[in-house]
Amino acid sequence: MKKTLGIFGLFLAVFISTALINPRFVSVYNLENLIRWISLFGIISIGVSFVIITGGIDLSIGSLIGMTGSLTAWLLTQRGWSVSTTLLTVLAVSLFVGMAHGLLITKLRLQPFVVTLCGLLLYRGIARYITDDQSQGFGNTQENLRLLAIGKVAIGSKFSIPIPFFILMGIAMVASLILNRTIWGRYLFALGRNETAAHYSGINTDVMKIAAYMTCSLLAGIGGILFSLDLNSIQPSGLGEFYELYAIAAAVLGGCSLRGGEGTVLGVIIGTAVMRVLYNAINILSIPTHLEFAIIGAVILAGVVTDELAKRYATNRRAIREQLGDNPLNKSQ
Amino acid sequence: MIFPYRFRAALLLTFVALQLGCGDKSTPSTASTTPATATTGGKKKIAFITNGVDPFWNTAVAGVRAAEKEFDIECSVLMPPKGLIDQKRMLESLLARGIDGIAISPVDAKNQVALIDEAAGRCPVITHDSDAPLSKRLCFVGMENYKAGRAAGLLVKEAIPNGGKVMLFVGRLEQLNSQQRRQGVIDELLDRPQQTSDKINFDVAGKVLSGTKYTILDTRTDNFDYARAKANAQDAMASHADLACMVGLFAYNAPHCLEAAKEAGRLGKIKIVSFDEAAPVLQGIIDGHVHGTISQQPYLYGYHSVRLLKSLVNGDKSVLPPNGFLEVPIVEVRQKNAQAFWADLKKMQEIGK
Repeated sequence: MKKTLGIFGLFLAVFISTALINPRFVSVYNLENLIRWISLFGIISIGVSFVIITGGIDLSIGSLIGMTGSLTAWLLTQRGWSVSTTLLTVLAVSLFVGMAHGLLITKLRLQPFVVTLCGLLLYRGIARYITDDQSQGFGNTQENLRLLAIGKVAIGSKFSIPIPFFILMGIAMVASLILNRTIWGRYLFALGRNETAAHYSGINTDVMKIAAYMTCSLLAGIGGILFSLDLNSIQPSGLGEFYELYAIAAAVLGGCSLRGGEGTVLGVIIGTAVMRVLYNAINILSIPTHLEFAIIGAVILAGVVTDELAKRYATNRRAIREQLGDNPLNKSQ
Repeated sequence: MIFPYRFRAALLLTFVALQLGCGDKSTPSTASTTPATATTGGKKKIAFITNGVDPFWNTAVAGVRAAEKEFDIECSVLMPPKGLIDQKRMLESLLARGIDGIAISPVDAKNQVALIDEAAGRCPVITHDSDAPLSKRLCFVGMENYKAGRAAGLLVKEAIPNGGKVMLFVGRLEQLNSQQRRQGVIDELLDRPQQTSDKINFDVAGKVLSGTKYTILDTRTDNFDYARAKANAQDAMASHADLACMVGLFAYNAPHCLEAAKEAGRLGKIKIVSFDEAAPVLQGIIDGHVHGTISQQPYLYGYHSVRLLKSLVNGDKSVLPPNGFLEVPIVEVRQKNAQAFWADLKKMQEIGK
């Protein structure tokens, strides 16, 4: 919890300062949009956090989003498949991709970086091949299905919560339960901290790793479906590009260590929120878009540095206090 | 469980082979990607290079295919998925393997001059869609983007005759065509005098520009990230309650403005003006949710590029237009002509697939 305090402070700082400069930032319409984007990106970020906790990495998320998003639109509109068959197929493909990653990493002992980097190229190529590189969309069809991404549930007379938020909450609760309240969660953390030790203490580390990659790909697949439903205009060569970096950045910002063994679901959601709020603030404050990467990079870096310095200061203070407490001269006074 | 070495090696090879296989197949319309070897069996080979992958280019390819048959020449179509980097790679591969003529839509007019000049040193090169006037290209086939921008500005004036706040959206502003379009819209809305295309003064992005009736708030870029394009439109509506009109300078911008307006329940209240002929935009025009769009007639880009190159590779320079500019006239699509325009377009796009 303490680990997420710093990033939550950064979130509050950006949120409050933007709201003070332009009060329309906290308008109902903008908050609803913000919640939707945080939810969509949050889902894929939770997925990658599972892999990061095991000490791995998944660079194929963006391409998998492109492939599953394109597949969803293509199967529904070009091939005339039913909604249930399409969704089940896309989710099955995602799980299969995750399993393939896991098997290659555990059984062939290939580096996660290499396997998922190849996946990044492979899935983008498949998406473009299947769709003949043509933009996909639902047009005016699938209005009901699209509610999964663009629908809202009214809370009171003025405010509505976008449906993706409920999907995120459902996923976050399950993920949190698994990580914190089940033996598998403990195994994942143990594996991330010291794989050899975990292995020799009887944990089937291969199975846990495969499960982590399958979770990551499944959530990327769900993300792909939701992004395609939300955008209604999908370019197979572009959808999801660089989203793996957004997801990894959000996970790391939220307290996941790239060395493995650390991370919380709440932290990942807050990390995602920081990224999306920054993007939103740049537009709301009419900051030129060509400055956005520079600003996001600078703000996040400043936040992380401040957080680290604050932690060190607190640790030093604690150490000094303990030293003083242990000193017999002090005790006698 | 550790798999035997042979099994591991076989699995790895299968994975690599699969990847390579799909890599080759992944770009069918880039068919592209198998660049032509120069003149074999007497038939000249030329290439038509786009600046990206978009339905817009399917229509241009339809023109390429029609001209291929009419002028008996073979033309490869290359669509670089990642803009500048892929375009450079594709062009270099073509030059390495040999090609008789090239039509290219440069992503970066200023900084690709050396590359275009290198190509022009080996075979006739023309530009289409977006020009690189400082290069040694022989001719430019396209519309006058500045003029088209002014036409889009007129559509905005029609849509909101009493004036109001306008936001512009575009993929990227590095391209000369997007800069010129943007300036055309701005100059028209601010009632500035006409500028000549070869010497345009550009307003700096990020500044609010106000005239007597119209205020151009900004030009937001998305770098071809569709989610970003939609978020930009949403954020524009969120930060300006009185936003009157959104102008999409690239084909995919207006569809995302339309989606954002629909979700915000502001369809028809916020006017939308577009470029090009994306299906949601044409549907939006028919439904009355988009005021109009400026079509560049990309079919003619493809057709004229092949026609000119056919003569140029045979050494006939008499086909070159004066000033090296073959202007393709724009078509303004409004509610009254949208149905007929769309029907024609569908036929062309089918040929281009």
